Amino acid sequence: MIIAILRILARRLLAIIPVFVVVTILVFGALRILPVDPAQMSLPPSATIEQVEAKREAMGLNRPIWEQYTIWAKGAVAGDLGESSQYRMSTAAVVLDRLPATIELVICALVFAVGVGVGGGLLVFSARDTVLETVGLVVISAVMALPDFLLALLFILVLGVLMPIFPVNGRLEPGMQVPTQTGFLLIDALLTGDFRAFFSALHYIALPVMALGLAFSPTIMRVLHASLVNTYQQSYILQARLRGLSGREILFGQALKNAMLPVVILVGTQFGGLFGGTLLVEMIFSFPGLGNLMVKAMQTSDLSVIMAISLIYCATTLLFNSLADALAYLLNPRLRNG
Amino acid sequence: MNDQTILHIKNLEISLKTGHKILNGVDLAIRPGRVLGVIGESGAGKSMLGSAIAATLPRGLAISRGSIDFDGLTLTDMNAKTRRDLLGRDIGFIPQEPMSALNPSLTIGHQICHHLARIGLRTAQSREDRAVELFSEVGLDRPRDLLKSYPHQLSGGMLQRVLIAMAFASHPRLVIADEPTTALDVTIQQKVVELIARMRETHNTSVLFITHDLQLAAEVCDDVAVLYAGRIVETGAARRIIEAPMHPYSRCLNLATPNLSGPKARLMILPGTMPSPLERTVMTGCEFAPRCPLAETRCHSSRPALEEIVAGHHSACHWPERSGMIAPPATSAEQVVPTLGSAMILQAKGLGKAYRQHDWLGRVRRVEALRELNFEVREGEFVGIVGESGSGKSSLTKMIVGLEDVTSGTLEVVGMDRATTPRERFFDKVQLVFQDPQSALNPRRTIGSLVTQALEARDSQPSAAERKDMVAALLAKVMLPPDVAGRFSDQLSGGQKQRVNIARALCSNPRLLIADEIVSGLDVSVQAQILELLRELRNEVGFSLLLISHDLAVVRHVCDRTLVMCKGEIVEQGPVEEVFANPQHPYTRQLVAAALGPVVVGR
Repeated sequence: MIIAILRILARRLLAIIPVFVVVTILVFGALRILPVDPAQMSLPPSATIEQVEAKREAMGLNRPIWEQYTIWAKGAVAGDLGESSQYRMSTAAVVLDRLPATIELVICALVFAVGVGVGGGLLVFSARDTVLETVGLVVISAVMALPDFLLALLFILVLGVLMPIFPVNGRLEPGMQVPTQTGFLLIDALLTGDFRAFFSALHYIALPVMALGLAFSPTIMRVLHASLVNTYQQSYILQARLRGLSGREILFGQALKNAMLPVVILVGTQFGGLFGGTLLVEMIFSFPGLGNLMVKAMQTSDLSVIMAISLIYCATTLLFNSLADALAYLLNPRLRNG
Repeated sequence: MNDQTILHIKNLEISLKTGHKILNGVDLAIRPGRVLGVIGESGAGKSMLGSAIAATLPRGLAISRGSIDFDGLTLTDMNAKTRRDLLGRDIGFIPQEPMSALNPSLTIGHQICHHLARIGLRTAQSREDRAVELFSEVGLDRPRDLLKSYPHQLSGGMLQRVLIAMAFASHPRLVIADEPTTALDVTIQQKVVELIARMRETHNTSVLFITHDLQLAAEVCDDVAVLYAGRIVETGAARRIIEAPMHPYSRCLNLATPNLSGPKARLMILPGTMPSPLERTVMTGCEFAPRCPLAETRCHSSRPALEEIVAGHHSACHWPERSGMIAPPATSAEQVVPTLGSAMILQAKGLGKAYRQHDWLGRVRRVEALRELNFEVREGEFVGIVGESGSGKSSLTKMIVGLEDVTSGTLEVVGMDRATTPRERFFDKVQLVFQDPQSALNPRRTIGSLVTQALEARDSQPSAAERKDMVAALLAKVMLPPDVAGRFSDQLSGGQKQRVNIARALCSNPRLLIADEIVSGLDVSVQAQILELLRELRNEVGFSLLLISHDLAVVRHVCDRTLVMCKGEIVEQGPVEEVFANPQHPYTRQLVAAALGPVVVGR
């Protein structure tokens, strides 16, 4: 079965490649249409016209756009994503430097969202046929209407300013240092055994995680609730009850595995939204990740950085779709002999 | 109370929140090792008995009076936890639809071992051994491999065996089987019934057997209780109730069931429908009186009590001894078989159908659904097709109506070659009626507009007045009151809906009517109405009928000739009486033997 899953995953990943190539072409084309001059942006404002021309020649900007794309693609395959005009260093280095922070944020937010979503869904479901269920569903709808950045601002107001429980910007207490090993602050702190730093990092990441996660969780609650209601109408649930299984055994032993399937698909397909949500949330919390970098790159028309980050967004979305497929395959035996 | 009973239901009353009664004053007792059958049509409340015992009544229903004693304990006084502990341990259940009764995402082994753990098998090894032992006992091959399978990999019959194994695993005192064979093929039904009988014997278990099928109850049960409109109308030894019923309802049910042997009489038709719980509340007399052929004024004003007529035989009727006087309607003069026309309505020569299947690598596999079919249907002839699921009945229907292409051989429909003639030329000539009367009717259109729906496909539209006349004429043909025209399908009963479907099919005066299992979802009394309607229409309208059914008796009752299909081939064909009385092919013999009823093991 593991081989079958690996095969599914491999097939999915292979299917991603052409999609990914098309996305690079689209993004590349769109960025070249912008009325900005990458050559000028990559030189100090004091550069002479000759210097700009020379730079333009060197960057290949005089050639037709498809040739430019070929140059970029050749470089990208070799790991060279060009030079960031704003930092004057390799784009790959700039992006990789910020990537772990965002991944950490997104993974934490995902865990939070799934935890709260599944927990909330189960809670609302277990209150079925009472007033509490209706109340729960109304609350879910209300939270669903709030976008992540608005939640972020609300959290800052309530938990950062009115009741200052959580810090509202940065990744770590000022003055605190964690030697970089993996780039993931929480993991690095644990690796060095610095628990004070770990808790500080946890403390700092809490609000952005809650804002991102809470924006995603109501959808999970709704889908899980609806899916459970549907599952409970199936005959095997009644049959389990007739064998004398308790309510808890039926919910966790029989129903949940079947009811989780739509949730898995939902998380897989909507993960892109969560990742994209980091853009505004990171900016609001001055969280030094990809989102913040992207906003800055857009402000300074740092095209190679915009390109690189767009591709990361695209890759994560596609990757999580494939992971969800593999997980669905794992959960549903009927898919396996299809 | 009597120590001799395993289950004793006393004066049970189940009511809706509104106070309307679903079950009313039901008394039942099962002695150790006996099989009690509860017979009733849909709406009689028979499934409520199982739910009441397991405390799984649907929301809005509650036991409002009476008690249920089980093995010396009063279930209705127990708390939920102790009551639940009895389930699966002392009380087992066999469900109606085995295909959906096991969790699709867990292996068979996981599910049965979980159950075995619950009933006290401590180690994983002992559970597995016991599971294998149980599977062998219910006649499943390669039991050890089965443990690793998922439910969707098994057939309905195998799943029902698994479920029976689980139900009997704990040597329960009582097993409740709610229509355990309804969803299965005829030959499998037979085996499942035999299996339940054998398991009951070896485990010395009492069985509560809930069914709508009189014949089946007669074969399986020791005692029978007939339920009508929430009350028991007759109870006694199974043989007696089938052969010498003491209540008009039991007698009518018996006369409404088509037989596979004996003289071919017309089926008894009960007028109207069973009163709903709402209607029952205001009835002062016998609930069956409005439909009873024997009813007198007294029946409408005072309700007869359930009284012992002969030792062990109870009936709730003022005149139980008159029940035997109800005779099937006489075969009237015009019931003579109409002469068949010489024209061929359907002619198949070497007809075949192959599907192409692609697997994920794109490899093409040919699956032959039908092979070398040779048959014909003459004008005005009624032909039955019998066969089990997977025999190719549906593929054949689809080809005749043009939903599937012919892949080999020729098929002539109403004198035109199916493969070369444009599809729309057939629309008025061939009509199809489906199994599920509900889903075939658009719920948002009135019956009047549904019945004449076929007209809308024509170029010239009739005027509103003409259309109205047509609706009236069609409804009259299928014996529906004219006021039905303005109603919607959810306001009709199942039998009425199926009449609407037939009327709609008749709208374009088809030469060929295909009826795909049109009575299999219906109650016995409703089935009788529809079957008799088909026979009436034959004299009146004149069309050929292709009746597809798994029920041999239904085919025998309506058709002149029959085809027997097995695995995509016609294994036998001929006049119904000849085929069913003297089957030649082993498969037909097997079908007939299954339908005639088993010699139940150990009785």
